[in-house]
Amino acid sequence: MPSPSPSTEIRRARPLLGTLVEIRVDAAGPQAPLHAAVDAAFAAVEHVHRLMSFHEAGSDVSALNREALYRPVRVDAQTWKVLAAARHLSQLSEGAFDIAIGARLQDWGYLPPGPGLIPSEGNWTDIELLQDSRVRFHRPLRIDLGGIAKGYAVDCAIAVLREAGIEAALVNAGGDLRVLGSPQQVQLRHPQNPAFSAHALSLCDEALATSANYYSRRACASGEVSPLLDPRSRQPWLGAASVSVRAADCMRADALTKVVLFAAPEVADRVLEACDAQAYVQNPLEAAA
Amino acid sequence: MSYSSRLVYLPVAALSVCAPAQALVYMSVEDAQKLTFGEEALTPLALLLSPEQSAAIEKDAGVKVFAGSLRAWKANDGYFFVDAVIGKHDLITYAVALGADGKVRRIEVLEYREAYGGDVRNPRWLAQFKGKQHGDEVQIGEGIQNVSGATLSCEHLTDGIRRLLATYAIAIAQH
Repeated sequence: MPSPSPSTEIRRARPLLGTLVEIRVDAAGPQAPLHAAVDAAFAAVEHVHRLMSFHEAGSDVSALNREALYRPVRVDAQTWKVLAAARHLSQLSEGAFDIAIGARLQDWGYLPPGPGLIPSEGNWTDIELLQDSRVRFHRPLRIDLGGIAKGYAVDCAIAVLREAGIEAALVNAGGDLRVLGSPQQVQLRHPQNPAFSAHALSLCDEALATSANYYSRRACASGEVSPLLDPRSRQPWLGAASVSVRAADCMRADALTKVVLFAAPEVADRVLEACDAQAYVQNPLEAAA
Repeated sequence: MSYSSRLVYLPVAALSVCAPAQALVYMSVEDAQKLTFGEEALTPLALLLSPEQSAAIEKDAGVKVFAGSLRAWKANDGYFFVDAVIGKHDLITYAVALGADGKVRRIEVLEYREAYGGDVRNPRWLAQFKGKQHGDEVQIGEGIQNVSGATLSCEHLTDGIRRLLATYAIAIAQH
């Protein structure tokens, strides 16, 4: 009688979405189908990258930024889903989460320049979602899905792995991650010394995303900046804290980190409640005070 | 400091519940080759770049060519490359497989080593990996943890891939 095959772990990584995306699966049986499932999960992430990258000329995001001010632009159903979720979170958070921040991120050098300069006053209320997955902008603006698409891509990868019959997996896109199946320990980086961890959480069929700027602050012509941008004041967030959000799915966890950073605490609390999510704030300055 | 049901302010603990500084091996060169080309035996290719070729590659890819880090193989219907890139906080070894048409068939990260604080370029930090074979387990600490933190950009890795594709175009495809 054949003995039950031992469980094997496959852990692979690829550069996608501007970061390193890691997929880890744990399953019994031969390796080839596991690798095939991981390949399919990476393909799902690549697909999201192609649709929603600001950098790629052929993406839905680039098409919207080029043309949606002049005519309605039809987007893929997946892009539509992310845009609708973004809009919902903007509404709930009274604009503390906003995807219409691309022009300012271009000014600061976090996104590639061009075409042309546009005023950066447009916001999420100027993005109209029409019938049949069409989108129209009512003021000049550029969207960037960098604050939500990474989480969505993680969700897509998890869905592919689940459909492939995998019961235990973890997908981590540069710190935005989701666990499929049994509990896994996740470390939170220390906000002042990210080479160390300050806390550990156990996640089971849940997602966790973190925003902090220890890796990304830099100087530019207008002073010190960070890709974490307060959509209402249009100022960079230069705080020392790190915000992690735990939610059922990674798309919302990803976007909610920005809500916690930029909304008033009572608003953030209400939005987290509405999304059944939990936020963890590590603030070294407050702790020292 | 406020507390509410949904917003928890964590005390910023003394460093290190456990250090997540990572050094991990995702895949060996051999496994990455097998995943792309099956059991076929690949032929190592000596890639000695002339100064002119190096200059052309740098011009084409917009990134500096480092001598010696690139290894290449030829398959019946494609090529396989292994290269390493050094970023601000990490050192990444990666593989790129190309089809006979020069199109990318697979990109796979083989090894990832993280050293926050600029240590990556420190010769002493690098020296610990000298003589390590690809596939050797190099790990810091017990078991590799899952880490959530701010996104680490891997621009240098995409630069490396661009350089590698330029190398193929200039040093292989044109010959």
